[in-house]
Amino acid sequence: MDSTTTHVAAGAKAQTRRKSSKPYLYLLPHLVIFTIFFLVPLVFGIYVSFTKWDLVRTPRFVGLQNYQTILFSNSTFHTQLVEGLRNTLWFVLISVPFCILVPLLLAVALNAKPKFGKFFQGLFYLPSLFSISAVVIVWTLIFNPNYGPLNSLFHLNQVWTGTQPWAWMTIVIVTIWWTIGGNMIIYQAALNGIPKDYYEAADIDGASSWEKFLHITLPSIRGQFLYTLVTTTIAQFNIYGQPLMMTNGGPNGSTSVLMMYIQQNAFGAGQSLAGLASAMAVVLGVCILIVSMIQFYFLRRDY
Amino acid sequence: MRRLRSLVLALATILLAFVAVGCTSSRAQSDSKTIVFWNPFTGPDGTSMQKLVNEYNATKPEYPVKNISLTEGDMYAKIPTIVNSGRGIPDLQIVHVERIKDYVHNGILDTYDQYLSNYPNIKSSNYVQEAWNGGSYEGHRYGIPLDIHTFVMYYNKDLVAKYCPEALDDNIVTFDEIKAAGEKAKKDGITALGLTWWKPNYLSMLGQQGGELTKNGVDPTLNTEPAKNTLNFYKSLYAAGITSRDGQDPMQLFLTGKEIFHPEGIWMVNQIRESKIKFGLTNAPQVSADPKKMVNWSSSHQFVLLKQAKRNTAKTKATLKFINWVRTHSIHWAEAGQNPASQAITKNKAYQKMGQSFLLKSKTEQESLRIFDYRYNGYVADFLDRYALDPVFGKTSIEKYLKDMQSTVQDKIDAQITD
Amino acid sequence: MQNTRTNRAGKWLAFLFLTIMGVIWIVPLLYGITSSFKTNIEMQSVGFRFLPINWVLSNYTKLLANTTNTPVFRWFLNSLVIACGTTLLVLCVVSLSAFAYSRLKFRGKNILFYGLLATMMFPPVMNLIPLYKIITTLGWANTDWAMIVPAATGVFNIFLVRQFMDNIPISYDEAARIDGASDWQIFFRVILPLIKPVLFVVALFTFTGSWNDFLWPSIVFSDLNKMPITPGLKLLQGMYAANIPTLMAGALVAIVPTLILYFFAQKYFLQSMALSVGVKG
Repeated sequence: MDSTTTHVAAGAKAQTRRKSSKPYLYLLPHLVIFTIFFLVPLVFGIYVSFTKWDLVRTPRFVGLQNYQTILFSNSTFHTQLVEGLRNTLWFVLISVPFCILVPLLLAVALNAKPKFGKFFQGLFYLPSLFSISAVVIVWTLIFNPNYGPLNSLFHLNQVWTGTQPWAWMTIVIVTIWWTIGGNMIIYQAALNGIPKDYYEAADIDGASSWEKFLHITLPSIRGQFLYTLVTTTIAQFNIYGQPLMMTNGGPNGSTSVLMMYIQQNAFGAGQSLAGLASAMAVVLGVCILIVSMIQFYFLRRDY
Repeated sequence: MRRLRSLVLALATILLAFVAVGCTSSRAQSDSKTIVFWNPFTGPDGTSMQKLVNEYNATKPEYPVKNISLTEGDMYAKIPTIVNSGRGIPDLQIVHVERIKDYVHNGILDTYDQYLSNYPNIKSSNYVQEAWNGGSYEGHRYGIPLDIHTFVMYYNKDLVAKYCPEALDDNIVTFDEIKAAGEKAKKDGITALGLTWWKPNYLSMLGQQGGELTKNGVDPTLNTEPAKNTLNFYKSLYAAGITSRDGQDPMQLFLTGKEIFHPEGIWMVNQIRESKIKFGLTNAPQVSADPKKMVNWSSSHQFVLLKQAKRNTAKTKATLKFINWVRTHSIHWAEAGQNPASQAITKNKAYQKMGQSFLLKSKTEQESLRIFDYRYNGYVADFLDRYALDPVFGKTSIEKYLKDMQSTVQDKIDAQITD
Repeated sequence: MQNTRTNRAGKWLAFLFLTIMGVIWIVPLLYGITSSFKTNIEMQSVGFRFLPINWVLSNYTKLLANTTNTPVFRWFLNSLVIACGTTLLVLCVVSLSAFAYSRLKFRGKNILFYGLLATMMFPPVMNLIPLYKIITTLGWANTDWAMIVPAATGVFNIFLVRQFMDNIPISYDEAARIDGASDWQIFFRVILPLIKPVLFVVALFTFTGSWNDFLWPSIVFSDLNKMPITPGLKLLQGMYAANIPTLMAGALVAIVPTLILYFFAQKYFLQSMALSVGVKG
C-alpha cells in the first residue's frame, strides 16, 4: 500500500507539471452530481428542520420549535417520534440477529458440500433480487387467515398480521426471506478462504466439531462478520416497505416505524408538514449515525 | 473479462431500445389532445366508468378521455405531490366533496367560473341540490357533481327468511333485529353482521348518536360522548359474537352465504351480483326504527380541475364538454349501483327501477343521506382508515383511541401554515 | 477413519437443514404461482387448497389487458430502463473519479477523498425531503432522471474501485506513459480493462439497488405510466385487495423475468458477490 502510493505520486508528478487542471475533469461528473443531489439537500434538510414549510412557499424560520414539538411536547408528533423510533429500534433488535445467524448457518451447511449445494445456494440468494412489494404480496397470502396454508394446516385461527407479537413475526420472517442472500454469500466466501490445515491440526488434537467452529471458524471470519453486522443494522434502520404493505403499521400503530411517519407528514394527503418531517428525519439520521459509529469503533478495535 | 463488456453492451442496448419505445408511446400518452382523467373507481364501479368513457370516446370527440383509476388512499396521497411537482397533472379529477374546502385553501384546485358560461346546462337546477351545493366554496365553483353515493346494507334473502323474516317490513333494520337474528344464527355458524369498511360505519353511527365532526367548521370535536357511545355500541356487538371476527373477510362471508347483513356501499352491487346469491338492498343498520332519526352515510364524487400553471383553455373547454355529456349519459353510472347527481338521470324510467333509487325517492330517505362535510375531513378519514376497528377488537382502549383521534387531527391542523 | 464418518454425518445433517430451509424458501413462491391460476370465486369459497381445482389463465389475461389502471408490463419496462440507465451512469462516474483519486495528483486530493468518505456517515433519510424539492424544481418528477441521477452520488463505490485500482502496479502506467500515452489513454486502455471485475460488482449492486428501491420512487412518481414496478405493485395491492388470484398474477409477472435472468446468469451473480467480499474484507 505504502509503496504503491509513492509510485503513484512519482508517476503523476511529470503529468501535473504539464496540465494541472485536468485531474479535476475526471472528478467533475461525480462532484457536480454529489453537490446538487447530496450535499445541498443535506444542508438544506438540516436547515428546513428549523422552519415551517409546506414544500411550496418559502420556509419560515422557527428556531428550535420543531425539535421542541417532537422531542419534549405532548403533541401527536412527539408520540409519533417516540413510537416510530421505538418500533424501528425494536425491529432492528429482533431482525438483525436473525439476518446474521440464519445466513451464517446456511453458509456453514453449504460449506459441508452436501448434495444439491449449488441449487440451495441459488434458491436462498434468489429472493434478494425481487422487489419488496412483490415479496410482501406473495407472503401476505401465506399469512392470510382465510386462504393461507398456516391456519388451515395447523388448525389455527390466528390473524397473523393483525395481532401482536405475530405482526412483528411476519415482518421479520419476510425480511429474513428477502435479504439473507447477500450475507450468506459473503460468509460462504469467507469460509472457503479458511485454510484446510487449521482443521487438520485441530483433528489431530481431537477437537470436536463444535470446538472447531468456535475456535477456528468464527475467529477466521470475524472481519466479514462485523462488516455484515454494520451494513445489516443500517439497512434495517431504514425499514419501510414491509410494515407499510404487510400490516399498514398496525395493529394499533405498533408496527408503525419512524420512516412511515416521516413519509406521511411530508408527502401524505393534506398540507405537507415538511419542516416537522425534516426534524424527525434528522433525529432518525442522528440515531443511525450514533449506532453505526459505535459499531465502527468496535470494528476498528478488533482489527 | 469479456463479460463486463457484454454486460455494458446489453445494458445499453436494452436502454436504447426501451427509451425509443418509451418515447413513442409516451408521446402518445402525453398527447395534448387527450384528457387524462383520474378517479378512485377501483371497485366494480370502475368497469362502469370505463364503459362510460369508452362510449364518450366512440363519439369521436376532438379530445378523447383516458380513464385512470387509483385506490382512494393512494390517490389522495398523490394529489398534493403531483400538483406540487407540476408535471403529469391530470386534466380532470374526481374527488369526494368533503375534500374540496381544504384543497381550495391549499391552492390545489382551479375554478370552473370562467368556463361555465359556455355550458349553460351545467347549472343548479339540473343537479340534485345537496351534491351541487357542495361543489361551490366562497362563491366560486370548484366541483361539478357526478353522483351521491351512500353506504347502505345488503342482505341475504334466504338467511333473512330463515332467521328474521319480519326485519325488513319497514325497510329499516335495527341493530336489535340484527342481534336477535344473530343469536339464532350463531349455532349454525352464520354471522349476522359484517364488520365492513369502518369509516362509513363509524360516521353513520356517530350521526345516529347525535355526534358531529366539528361545531364551528374549523376545530375538530371527535372525543365526545356520542363518539364514545358509538365505539361502546360496536364493542358490545362484537362481544355478543354476532359480527364477523378480526381477520375474517366479511365480503367473503357474505358471498359464500355465511352472513345475513352486509353493510356496504351501493357501488359494490355488481360484485355481489356476480356471486349469484339472492340479495336485497336496504338502509344502513339503525339504532332506532324511527325514520326521522335515520342516518345513511353519503358522499358525492365531484369533477374538479387540479391546478395547472399553464392551463390550456381549449382542452379545459373540451373537459367541460365531457362533464356535460356525462350529465345526460350517466345511466351507466347508475348501472354500477350509484345514484347519479344529474336530474336528467334521476327522472329516467330505467333508473327508477334500480335498487338504489329508493334513496332518492322519498323525502325521508333524502333527508337521511348525511354528508360529513368538514374542511379537515381528510385527516379524520386517514385516522379512521388507519386505526380502523382496533378499539372494537380490544387492541386499544376507547378512551385512548378517541383522545388520539382528537389530538392527531388538532395537532395536524395546528402545524399547518395558514395564509 | 473417524474423520470421514463425521464428515459424512455432517454432510447429511447439512443436507437435512438445507432441505427444511429450502422448503420454507420455495413454498411461498409455489403457492403464489398456483393461486394465480385460480378463479376468485374458487379462492373465496374453498379457502386454502394448494392446487387449483380449475386451472384458469384469466387472471393473467385480465391483468395484462388492463393497461390503463395496472400497466404491469409498462412498469416492468420502466424499471428496466431506470435500472440500466442508473448502472451505466454509475459505472462511468465511478470509474472516472476512482481513477483520479488513485492515479492522478492534484491539490487537496486526500482532503477531498476523505471528506467525501466522511459524508457517507449521514444516512440518506436526512436529505430525502429537500431532494424531492430539488427534483421537482428541475422538472424531473415523474421522469426516469429522478431515479437515475441521484443514484450516482454514492461514495462507497468510488472507494471500492479505488482500492482495487491501488493494487494495480504503477509500472503498467509508466510503461504506457513511455510509449507516449496520455492520462485518458492510460485510463481507457490500461486501467479500465484491469478493473472490470470490480466494475461488475458495482454494476450488480447498483442494478439490484435501483430495481428494489421503494420509498424514493413512491415519492417522486405519481404518474401511473411512468412509475417503476416496485411502487406500481403497491398500487396493485390496493386495487386487487379483494381479488387475490389476480394480485398474485401481478406479483409473479414482476418476478418471473428476474427469475429467468437469474437462472441464466446465476454463475456470474454468485461469483461477483464472492469477489466483492475479497475487496471489502
